[in-house]
Amino acid sequence: MKQLNRIGKYLKTLASTALGRTPAGRALTVFPDDIFLVSYFRSGSTWSRFLFGNLIQQNEPVTFTNMERLVPIIYNLPDRALRRLPRVLKSHECFDPRYPRVIYIVRDPRDVAVSFYYYNLKVRVIPDGYSMDEFVDRFVAAKVVPYADRVGCWQDHVLSWVRLREGNPGFRLVRYEDLLADPVKELTNLSPLLGINPTPARIERAVQLSSASHMQSLEKEQSKQWVATKDTRQDISFVREAKSGGWRNKLSANAVRTIEQAWGTTMKELGYDLVMDAKVDRELVKG
Amino acid sequence: MPPAQNSVQRLFGALAQAGRVLTGRQIAGRGLTVFADDIFLVSYPRSGNTWTRFLLGNLIDQNDLVTFSNIESRIPEIYFNRDRFLRQLPRPRMLKSHECFQPHYPRVIYIVRDPRDVAVSFYHHNVKARNIPDDYPMASFVPRFIAGEFDRKFGSWRDNVLSWTVLRRDDPAFLMLRYEDLKLDPARALASVVAFLERCSFGKIGSSAAELQRAIERSSPERMRALEKQEAGRWILTKGTRSDKPFVRSAISGGWKSQLARESVAAIESAWGDLMQSLGYTLSSAQTAASVESVPHRGLPL
Repeated sequence: MKQLNRIGKYLKTLASTALGRTPAGRALTVFPDDIFLVSYFRSGSTWSRFLFGNLIQQNEPVTFTNMERLVPIIYNLPDRALRRLPRVLKSHECFDPRYPRVIYIVRDPRDVAVSFYYYNLKVRVIPDGYSMDEFVDRFVAAKVVPYADRVGCWQDHVLSWVRLREGNPGFRLVRYEDLLADPVKELTNLSPLLGINPTPARIERAVQLSSASHMQSLEKEQSKQWVATKDTRQDISFVREAKSGGWRNKLSANAVRTIEQAWGTTMKELGYDLVMDAKVDRELVKG
Repeated sequence: MPPAQNSVQRLFGALAQAGRVLTGRQIAGRGLTVFADDIFLVSYPRSGNTWTRFLLGNLIDQNDLVTFSNIESRIPEIYFNRDRFLRQLPRPRMLKSHECFQPHYPRVIYIVRDPRDVAVSFYHHNVKARNIPDDYPMASFVPRFIAGEFDRKFGSWRDNVLSWTVLRRDDPAFLMLRYEDLKLDPARALASVVAFLERCSFGKIGSSAAELQRAIERSSPERMRALEKQEAGRWILTKGTRSDKPFVRSAISGGWKSQLARESVAAIESAWGDLMQSLGYTLSSAQTAASVESVPHRGLPL
């Protein structure tokens, strides 16, 4: 059986290479004027594809069915095909020195953990009823699923970009929470990096066409056509809450502590308050 | 390039790639299969990685001299060797890589070298590889070196060094090794590597003073040069490069002082001064400042 699987895998690789269909991924050819939307998993990167796609071009609203053409991800199409598409590319890679312009979206890792849990249910990496605490341990250790583990844990990923590129004119760090709170302001600030100077109406249009409710209704219609969702469980949605702070109801105190102990310093640096610290403060007040 | 020639070239590229898949000859590179017990020797190019491979190879198996003909099956590099070949090597493997930070490399020995010496060595390396002509001015090379224009995928020297040190410096599975320390007291530096490898449960490595000394002698620049003369035509890293230029060059530290113009030194130091100082490399601009300060103040000589 194992032998058969290996032969199958080999034939698949062979066919995709011979036909030039191997997805670009890390072997992507990078051009000097490329723009990359980079983030860890479940940090608002699909939302950002809608937002930036709708902001940059105004011909057709972004949907799940035209997204791979309008704001392509580097993991689906071969390098050859990507060369002919608009070069605002979505990537989940850890630091890559070749990327010339990067918008890096970071999200509170406690919310990432929750969202990633449900995503892994959807794609059948974990079964229904899987323990959230156990998942959080795996999430912190970057032992969830090989393709994700390869780009490192949340902290490795964030720091690799922030430490290497912060202050560089081709790099902008955006918090998912800020993008959610005031998308118009954040898009206005990011426009120079994208090389555009949009009117307020154009920005407003992009935000409207990328709202959570709009994306949710699009997903209902298109989830069986979109590559990222077509073979996954249809009873769990890809576009989830699109909120921040949901972890408060979904994570146990233990799970929160695990995350904060592992990455607390980095979280604070990014402006995410720790439960750990709040407790200490309360005790100080009591004392 | 005319489009016709371009598409012919692309067609050949695709055919060659299909051929490599067909015969299981895909180069590992960034697609390398990584095992949990792997140990990586990582460095920016021209920072003493090959020398370290010789030193460790000669220490780990003392009955079999390391040569350019057998190094690729003992401590192989990942950019010319095939993933399938590398997967079949005895475990735990030790592999050479030039990648910037890779979160999935489980154990890493990172070799860093004074970027002023790297610049000089990299210049000659690019002449050897025919990337620049013989008479290419060093003063034009240095700004391109700073911008990371050669071997772009490895980043600039700063990107490469900083990415590893900032993310892994305090990790027990990470060891930083300065080329200069290896040069100054190889026995001591090697002993620290042996201690690290034993912590990584690599297995027992004989490292008595005599054993260390023998490995060092077997990996001397003279011996490596003699081997290169015999084997350069066959070794994957030198095959096809100019044979009138050696791969093993001066093997010294501080050569930049006579090889780099003051402007080139200043350019490197102003780009990466902070990082260089944090690694213990004294800046010539800082030295100048210090000596100016030590001169008794005499009004306004400047």
